[in-house]
Amino acid sequence: MRFFLGIKLGGLQQKIFNLMLIFIIALIGVYVTVSVALQNDLSKIVQNTSEKQQESIAAVSERTMKTAVTASMTKTTALQAYIADDLFSDVRTDVLTLRSFANELFVHADAFTAHAYYPPDKANDGVPSVQMQHEAGVDPSESEALGLVANMSEIMLSMFENSRQLSSCFVATPDGCILFADDRAGAYIAEDGSVYDFEVRSRPWYKQAAEAGELIFTGVESDAFTDIAGIVCAAPVYKDGQLAAVVGADIFLSAISDYVKTTANYGGFVCVINENGQVLFSPNTEGTFKPELSAVAPDLRKSENAALGQFITESLNGATDVQTITVDGAEYYLTGSPMPTVGWAVVSAIDKSVTDQPTAQMLKSYGDINKNALTSYQNGAKRATRIVIIATVLILLLAITGALFVASRIVRPIEYMTKRINALSGNDSVFEMEKIYKTNDEIEVLAESFAALSGKTREYIGQITEITAEKERIGTELALATRIQADMLPNIYPAFPERTEFDVYASMDPAKEVGGDFYDFFLIDDDHLCMIMADVSGKGVPAALFMMASKIILSNNAMTGKSPAEILTDTNAAICSNNREQMFVTVWLGILEISTGKLTAANAGHEYPVIMQAGGKFGLLKDKHGFVIGGMEGVKYKEYEVQLQPGSKLFLYTDGVPEATNAENEFFGTERMLDALNESVNAPPEEMLRNMRRAVDDFVKEAEQFDDLTMLGLEYKGGAQ
Amino acid sequence: MLNIEKNKDNDALVVSLEGRLDTTTAPKFEDELKNSLDGITALTIDIKKLEYISSAGLRVFLSAQKRMNAQGEMKVTHVSEAIMDIFEVTGFSDILTIE
Repeated sequence: MRFFLGIKLGGLQQKIFNLMLIFIIALIGVYVTVSVALQNDLSKIVQNTSEKQQESIAAVSERTMKTAVTASMTKTTALQAYIADDLFSDVRTDVLTLRSFANELFVHADAFTAHAYYPPDKANDGVPSVQMQHEAGVDPSESEALGLVANMSEIMLSMFENSRQLSSCFVATPDGCILFADDRAGAYIAEDGSVYDFEVRSRPWYKQAAEAGELIFTGVESDAFTDIAGIVCAAPVYKDGQLAAVVGADIFLSAISDYVKTTANYGGFVCVINENGQVLFSPNTEGTFKPELSAVAPDLRKSENAALGQFITESLNGATDVQTITVDGAEYYLTGSPMPTVGWAVVSAIDKSVTDQPTAQMLKSYGDINKNALTSYQNGAKRATRIVIIATVLILLLAITGALFVASRIVRPIEYMTKRINALSGNDSVFEMEKIYKTNDEIEVLAESFAALSGKTREYIGQITEITAEKERIGTELALATRIQADMLPNIYPAFPERTEFDVYASMDPAKEVGGDFYDFFLIDDDHLCMIMADVSGKGVPAALFMMASKIILSNNAMTGKSPAEILTDTNAAICSNNREQMFVTVWLGILEISTGKLTAANAGHEYPVIMQAGGKFGLLKDKHGFVIGGMEGVKYKEYEVQLQPGSKLFLYTDGVPEATNAENEFFGTERMLDALNESVNAPPEEMLRNMRRAVDDFVKEAEQFDDLTMLGLEYKGGAQ
Repeated sequence: MLNIEKNKDNDALVVSLEGRLDTTTAPKFEDELKNSLDGITALTIDIKKLEYISSAGLRVFLSAQKRMNAQGEMKVTHVSEAIMDIFEVTGFSDILTIE
């Protein structure tokens, strides 16, 4: 048997080990599968939930943001538009006041004298003052209206001083002169001290006002001297249907411009669009909402960005809702509100990415948190997996060790038992219950059974030994009994060396042990030879004892001189008187009267005697039979006489001779017996018996001899010679 | 070897013997008979297939005959010539009822 890891391959130990291993591996498999599946599910759930939450947050946040932005922007824009428009409304009122004043002057021209006017004086720079300028080639002194309108000097100065928005007030005459009220006289004087020409009638405000015949606002224009962007509000003054003057006010839009610039914070800004869809003010220095001079500024209403064009158009006509429009590649919340006075619009813009920034920020933070959570979860999961793997390996190792332990624990008693049983070879060894078998299971039962069996076996061996010893003893005693029995029979030959009248020879060969056959011959007196051939029923010691008794009773009776019939009758009576075992003996008893050769005999159930008369052949003497001795009480035996001649022979035997059996289960029979005798009729008794013995042996060959072989031969040689 | 076959009909028993009735087998036959004879009033021993009977066998026949003398009757049937010779030689033919 091969071994692996100390386990007998194919043994019970390995089977138990395998079973446990399979069970454990299956268990671990289920455990790992469930763990991995759960972990995957959990990962998915975490990820899905995170995504959903992010989407949800984004949606809610954007919606909230938009609502907030909308509310705030719409209101703010409207307010801004209102405030801005208010500025222009004030200026308008101022210009209308100037016009009204000019009208009065022209209507009541006769009532006014010419007012003094002065060219710009550098000393007046920074101080509110009124100065006159004129077109090149125009002589102010020839102007008819200049002196008249110069009467407006105080009112213009007052107006300028009282309004922060106005950079100047002026009144121009159609002959190319103009009076300014402002605080920048220096700006009109060149370095050489000469005064700059002022092309009055070429100015847009002049042309537009003359053309329109009513109050106008110009577009954003560079100031003729300061180059500061500004707007001019101008109104024509008529006398008798003829243009008499143009009054106006110059607004530096620095206030609006500054304000607009401050709005450029946090991705949002405010810009002002004029009636032509052009950007007037904007903090932007580039892109679509960059402010440019009217001459070059594009009309946003006709922008290639249709949504923007639509929005600008709507904004100029009325307040718009907040719209999300992509401008210059960025998304903006846009809302517009009109400025009714000038027909412009204020547009508020907020970069959507900025408003979205908190959402994005939040989402990012949330995402980061989620990502961190997921990462730490995944790390945890990885760690858990690692722990599971390590735990699995540990459990497996533990299980293998455990299985080995359990298997060997289960198997060790069996192996030990096998060893012990194999060692049980000698008679002394006995299988005993030991501590190792106390397993409280089948092994213990098995061991107990073995122990019991061993105990019994030992007991049996003891008994058998005893019996064998007893048998041995009995055998020895039987052998001794056989010797005694044989010694009891006459066995010294020649038996009667001094007697020449007869020759007698007898032999007994017990079949196995002491038998029940016996013969006897003895002289009752000098003239009477008693011969007995007997066969006790059964074998062994009982038969031997019975034979002894029979022999003694028979010879005792014979010695008293009784006749054969009397001897048998009395012997039967004696034996029957105490024969509970129903034993019996067949007896042929004959008494030869030596002197005469007269043989008197009686037969108690014994074989026929064989007699050869002198010169004749051996033949059965079918004598008169009585019942066996010991069989029944009160049997009377009869005797008969046979006259022997000298040379006559007598052959007595027990049933062992004719009933000797060969391998073919055939009896030797009386025929073969007689044949054997007749083969050598002259043989003396001893040779006669030897011949018979040989004949029987030849017949029986290897077959076992069942019965005793007891024979007696007598040769009668004649009376006393 | 001896085969013993018994057929009981109320108080009548037929015992059939087959084989050899000798020193070895006689005790078995004796035991069988001893245990079967209670209340039997008619015992028949059929020895049709009996090949041999030794003096030990005769002893059992004698015991049986004696017991049956006390409680009923016994007979021996289908006696072969060889066995009849033995019965005659031993005088058993005088005490047994042979049919």
